[in-house]
Amino acid sequence: MVTTGGGRWPAVLVAGVLLAGCGGETDTTGGEPTSTATVDYVANAARWVDEEFSPSTLPRAAQLEELAWFTAAAEPFRGMRINVVSETLTTHEYESTVLTRAFEEITGIRVTHDLIQEGDVIEKLQTQMQSGQNVYDAYVNDSDLIGTHSRYGYVVPLSDFMAGEGADVTLPTLDLDDFIGRSFTTGPDGKLYQLPDQQFANLYWFRYDWFQRDDLKAAFRERYGYELGVPVNWSAYEDIADFFTNHVKTIDGERVYGHMDYGKKDPSLGWRFTDAWLSMAGAGDPGIPNGLPVDEWGIRVEGCRPAGATVARGGAANGPAAVYALRKYMDWLKVYAPPEASGMTFSEAGPVPAQGHIAQQVFWYTTFTADMIEPGLPVVNADGTPKWRMAPSPHGPYWSPGMKLGYQDTGSWTFLKSTPLDRRKAAWLYAQFVVSKTVSLKKTLVGLTPIRDSDLRSEAMTEAAPRLGGLVEFYRSPARTAWTPTGTNVPDYPKLAQLWWPNVADAVSGAVTPQAAMDALAEQQDRVLERLERAGIQGECGPKLNPPEDPAVWLARPGAPKPKLANEKPPGETVPYDDLIQAWREGRAF
Amino acid sequence: MSALPRARWLLWLYGLYLALPIYWLVRLALQPNAAILAGEGAAFGEGAFTVANFTEIFTNPVWYEGFLNSLSYVAINTIISVSVALPAAYAFSRYRFTGDRHLFFWLLSNRMAPPAVFLLPFFQLYSAVGLFDTPLAVALAHCLFTVPLSVWILEGFMSAVPRSLDEMARIDGHSLPYFFFRIFLPVIRGGIGVTVFFCFMFSWVELLLARTLTGSEAKPIVVVMTRTVSASGIDWGVLAAAGVLTILPGIAVVWFVRRHLVKGFALGRVS
Repeated sequence: MVTTGGGRWPAVLVAGVLLAGCGGETDTTGGEPTSTATVDYVANAARWVDEEFSPSTLPRAAQLEELAWFTAAAEPFRGMRINVVSETLTTHEYESTVLTRAFEEITGIRVTHDLIQEGDVIEKLQTQMQSGQNVYDAYVNDSDLIGTHSRYGYVVPLSDFMAGEGADVTLPTLDLDDFIGRSFTTGPDGKLYQLPDQQFANLYWFRYDWFQRDDLKAAFRERYGYELGVPVNWSAYEDIADFFTNHVKTIDGERVYGHMDYGKKDPSLGWRFTDAWLSMAGAGDPGIPNGLPVDEWGIRVEGCRPAGATVARGGAANGPAAVYALRKYMDWLKVYAPPEASGMTFSEAGPVPAQGHIAQQVFWYTTFTADMIEPGLPVVNADGTPKWRMAPSPHGPYWSPGMKLGYQDTGSWTFLKSTPLDRRKAAWLYAQFVVSKTVSLKKTLVGLTPIRDSDLRSEAMTEAAPRLGGLVEFYRSPARTAWTPTGTNVPDYPKLAQLWWPNVADAVSGAVTPQAAMDALAEQQDRVLERLERAGIQGECGPKLNPPEDPAVWLARPGAPKPKLANEKPPGETVPYDDLIQAWREGRAF
Repeated sequence: MSALPRARWLLWLYGLYLALPIYWLVRLALQPNAAILAGEGAAFGEGAFTVANFTEIFTNPVWYEGFLNSLSYVAINTIISVSVALPAAYAFSRYRFTGDRHLFFWLLSNRMAPPAVFLLPFFQLYSAVGLFDTPLAVALAHCLFTVPLSVWILEGFMSAVPRSLDEMARIDGHSLPYFFFRIFLPVIRGGIGVTVFFCFMFSWVELLLARTLTGSEAKPIVVVMTRTVSASGIDWGVLAAAGVLTILPGIAVVWFVRRHLVKGFALGRVS
């Protein structure tokens, strides 16, 4: 039986083809000039300065002069369309929605600033590096990859570019010395590889209001024999965690905890360690920005050549200090954190302290600042000031002065050699625009990720400081140099970083001991280094493994890897927060 | 007879249980992120209410363009797959030729290769011919998986139609194109609907190829969704709102083919 309505499907198909034809046409050519002849760039620049780029560290005339330079330098690229990409952060959202518009109206270059998950940014970057095909014209990529970029040769060294083919599009008033993260993006060869765009740190977070309460202070002093305050070492942190979780237990009727962390088997568990946890315990060697010859990943370099991560090759990834760091992380998570913490990822655990039942957190990213100062939150006073503060991270017993004390990250503009020169130049103009002194202070106030010393010292930051819980004081202090990203000892960040979380998770789940987990991790790092050495593609700073020796021999030598301490819990030590802040204000590191 | 209401009652209960995650998703989509993070609204029907998450998606071009990009490559893919698979399936169903069975099985074996295998070759190829970052690139890449599937489904539906229909049409003096389009296709239109559904579903939720073969111009919705994850946490509200909106096209397609769906899962081999 032939049903009625024959021919209906073909008609639908035809309609569909037409529809798809319309949807499928997307302009991907870029670089096509659009009509820009009638645009008054000077008037646009003045409007943006008056309506958006205020406050600024530059006087209005200097702002206009800087923008006029952009207009002139961009002239050959007018009408061009370029694509750049970064992870999602408030700072980048501001760039993507506001600054791209300003840039187009001032230069005539249209920028699509894509925001995707950080892991995807790395993936796109690797796709372009491995294929040589241009995917994006510029990337905002964490400076953790400096050791990777400086070795593989895919990334344009900015020092060379600014002096050479990019000289005509390099802002005369860029003022590189003003960037507080400049040393993080400099390779072992002394060349600048990336330009900082946003920067944040990982600090100690605590409830200032609770730490000021006389009843709690007296109870703490009675139990532990010293003052409740900002912990200087892990012993004190542990005591304070114990105090709130096991002894105070409830404040104003609510169950409180002396520690917050996360422990789910998830890639973000890797950051908990690669973001300098081992250096806080004191596993590496002294040296700023990163320990030399052994860094916080436990990787030893000889000269600039990675020589191994296992103690047998002179590394420290499975040394006593690293094992101690892992064990303390696990103990604290189990004993002092809320029970749900061990099932959480980084993203899930991050906002928890804002709910008001956490007394302190040893590993806290300043990216959460904006979410923790919103009026109405349990951790914000009625007058808009926070009940919490950030302070320097405490250190473990293996730590010694001169070592890095925590993690700081600077997302930085990164340009690949496989991007065509004209597109690269146009993207370089945009990158400089979003970090220029004209724009930077406003951007910093919006996104709270400071990159310029001049911004930090500005009147506007002084005014904002009381609301920000110590962010401004931290960044103004000389202490901030002890917080640094992953350094140049790590020759291939993506390959090595992915080894951490499964091994840590094995230890957390109880499948293996902390020692076995760190042994496996160190061994796997060595194998990656070995493969890189065999491939021989990283040039004269590529890995060259030390021959394995008896670990006891390495442990007996001075520096990292360090032998096991007889007493891993020295007496707790704290400082009053207000003294600390005073020291910072006076330019002392305390 | 008294067993029937109870069975039905159990079925409803089971349906309700299955719908819980969807309720939860919709609930999250209608809450501000701060409330979600504070654990408000954990109980049924309480907590803050907002449509801001949907407003964000409908007013931010990045979001709605993501939807349009996805819809356009899904549409292209579905159309190419169905129009290529129809004649192919007819040939497999009606003609015997050397190696037909092997060729038929080989088609299915394409589906056994994980999409990751094809990532880099596709990327290189599309970059070389200037198709990178276009909906067409993703649509063509998805065809590798949807065309074999479509052929298999359609072949099943076509083989279920007796050959006598072809012969009668020939005796009546109809040409092959006339027979194919005016008589045969209407008979198997249920099968075509099911095929459209499977092509749509594969292409709509596929992430790996879609992500690698696009940059900023043709970015699909599944990639746009990753922007809710950042170093300052996850924007659960917007993510849930986007999740709700991505379910809707699927529901619409299911609605149209609901009566033929079971047959489709059996590759048309249910009579």
